[in-house]
Amino acid sequence: MEIHVDKDACVGCGLCVKDCPMHVYELQNSVSVAVRPNNCMGCLSCHEICPAQALEHRGIYAARRHYIDIKVCEMLRKVV
Amino acid sequence: MSAGYIDELHEAFQSDLVYRSEDIPLECSPRPKEMEQTLHGVMKLNGLIIRSLEEIAGRGANAVTYRAGKKFGHEVAKYFQKREDVEGALHELSDLLRGQYSFEVWKPEDKETFIIEENGETFIYLVFHDCIVRQTLRRNGLDQGGPLCQTLFGYVVGAIEEITGRKAKLEIVHTGPNACLKKLVLK
Repeated sequence: MEIHVDKDACVGCGLCVKDCPMHVYELQNSVSVAVRPNNCMGCLSCHEICPAQALEHRGIYAARRHYIDIKVCEMLRKVV
Repeated sequence: MSAGYIDELHEAFQSDLVYRSEDIPLECSPRPKEMEQTLHGVMKLNGLIIRSLEEIAGRGANAVTYRAGKKFGHEVAKYFQKREDVEGALHELSDLLRGQYSFEVWKPEDKETFIIEENGETFIYLVFHDCIVRQTLRRNGLDQGGPLCQTLFGYVVGAIEEITGRKAKLEIVHTGPNACLKKLVLK
């Protein structure tokens, strides 16, 4: 697992540090650093709470997303 | 309501198909793509049932859903080969749950084995990747870890108990949008 933190985007709020049960992240000089990437189990709750969207995971298994409504996506595609 | 509309409605439900009582459908009908609305309807209905159950029964809702899941786990797993090793049982369980849930045994970097002994407890970490419960909860904007998750807990515990004959307990360690970490405590 490879975790990349965008240092320019990270605001150093520490939410990912608090949320991760496996202590993957640490704050160093007010920026989050993935110190134990091999302990990451890919839940992606850090992505959900990061206010700066500064995180990127590589080599992750993306779970099925049945809850995404195809019709809503079609409408969004027309707008975006 | 106009007569024309009623005729149109009746026509929609008429066909030339000959269907005998002994006919066995050989494929899923309609095709899965066309079942999206059905799937979303079922997810919505499940979400509403769980929300209402929680409103009326409070914490008792967890006991109801856990019990339902456990019965289901026992029921399904009784046709599987009985075995004593938990790892083998988990392998059987992953076959059993395929299509609804997918999970893997997991360990933190500093642990040597998947079966961990800590503070007098023996447990295995399970990471659930695909999960119909999570899909339903997110479809309805409900919190993870509530009564609907208890059905999955009951299911896993019931199946493990049925396959291995050992008592077990499943605890939530962490929930996320893409995976959840659970702890299977063996007794």
